[in-house]
Amino acid sequence: MDIAAYISSGIIESYVLGLASEEEVSILNCIRKNNVEVEQAIAEAEKALEGLADIQAMAMPAALKQDIWNRLEAENQIVKDDQPDSLPTEEAISDDAVVQPPMLNDEEEPKRIVPARSYGWAIAASLLFLLSAGVNLFFYQQQQDSKATLAKTTAALDSQQATLAVLQDKWSLVQNPAIKTIPLKGVENKPDLHALVFWDQASKAVYLSLEQMPAVPKGKQYQLWAMVDGKPVSAGVFPLNAKEEMASKMLDVAKAQAFAITLEDEGGKDVPTLTELCVMGSI
Amino acid sequence: MSPLHNLPEETLILLLKKKNQQAFSYLYDNYADALYGVVCRIVASTEHAEEVIQDVFVKIWKHVDLFDAEKGRLYTWMINIARNTALDYRKSKGVVNEMKNQPLSNIVNTEEEQDQSQSEQHTKADFIGFRNILDKLKPECRILIEMAYYEGYTQQEIAEQLDVPLGTVKTRTKAAFLQLKQLLKDYR
Repeated sequence: MDIAAYISSGIIESYVLGLASEEEVSILNCIRKNNVEVEQAIAEAEKALEGLADIQAMAMPAALKQDIWNRLEAENQIVKDDQPDSLPTEEAISDDAVVQPPMLNDEEEPKRIVPARSYGWAIAASLLFLLSAGVNLFFYQQQQDSKATLAKTTAALDSQQATLAVLQDKWSLVQNPAIKTIPLKGVENKPDLHALVFWDQASKAVYLSLEQMPAVPKGKQYQLWAMVDGKPVSAGVFPLNAKEEMASKMLDVAKAQAFAITLEDEGGKDVPTLTELCVMGSI
Repeated sequence: MSPLHNLPEETLILLLKKKNQQAFSYLYDNYADALYGVVCRIVASTEHAEEVIQDVFVKIWKHVDLFDAEKGRLYTWMINIARNTALDYRKSKGVVNEMKNQPLSNIVNTEEEQDQSQSEQHTKADFIGFRNILDKLKPECRILIEMAYYEGYTQQEIAEQLDVPLGTVKTRTKAAFLQLKQLLKDYR
């Protein structure tokens, strides 16, 4: 702000005359605290009005001095010289506070004190808020961590239970005396591959378990064949959504001398693609 | 008749806060006439002025503890108590100031007429030896100080009454103070 322009604007004189608006007064009170020139200009304007009052003074009727003194005494506003200094003020202030002239300080006094105090509270409140936010964040993260751990544990448990179920299924197949287990071994160029066919001799149901087979490429599916009298007969495709360890139920086979698996296009074929033969095993 | 003011303000404040007879005597002897002058110009009769000035002293006496030296000068503070008490009194008594009843043409007039109207006012107001330094200000400045200081008009009201923009009220206020300061210098 241009202080010289502010001083010459007439706002200070308006303020001293009691003409300034509330907004102008609050701005002025803010500036005067930080600017000696403005403070000085205010004092100058005040002195001018004081000088005016001096020059226009009028003689008070002599009797009034005693009248006023008597009234102060009657209102118990006097401190006798032998008494402590502090006595009468509190009562005096509350007593007549209503008739304060507008320019008295008591209107602005609280405004001046409150900000300093409320800054203190604001800072304390902010610190508490930050602390609280920090603690919340800490607990929130702890909780998130716990949740994640719990989820992981649950998932691990689930998968173990699933695996167990699969193993139990297979175990029950193996235990079943009617079931014949036929191991299928990798062909010449894929010696590591390995699968198991569980064939229920009573119900003719066939279950396939891919013990050691690579995951199928996209668009492909393993297809099981039963060799019946030298001819391959489809026993169905291994479901894409089935778990590797799972023994999946295939088509029933009444009679077969051997089983084989080829990698076929998704959905399977009527005749096996012999170049895609993976494993086979005879009974 | 001028107050003596030979005590620095800080000393006077300390003295007043003692609230003893010495403090009262000092306050009265040095400021009563000046404050009475302010009151007399606002309530236009000695009878009312004597009533008001007593209230003024009681208020100063009771509220001196609320005075804040950072907010202004003690003398100015006391003058404002006198002004406001007198303006409130006038309002409460329904004493409408002469100027507010006068048509505007009577307020804004030639200097010659002004002197006449001023002397009439003096007679009416029953104040003999009523020195008015304001008469020596330029008319537009005198009116402004009288309306604001002695009549309690707001800035807005002054602008409307004188039919000038608010900004002009401020610049005239500034001009009035400059003239007043010069006049005071000449008096001393």
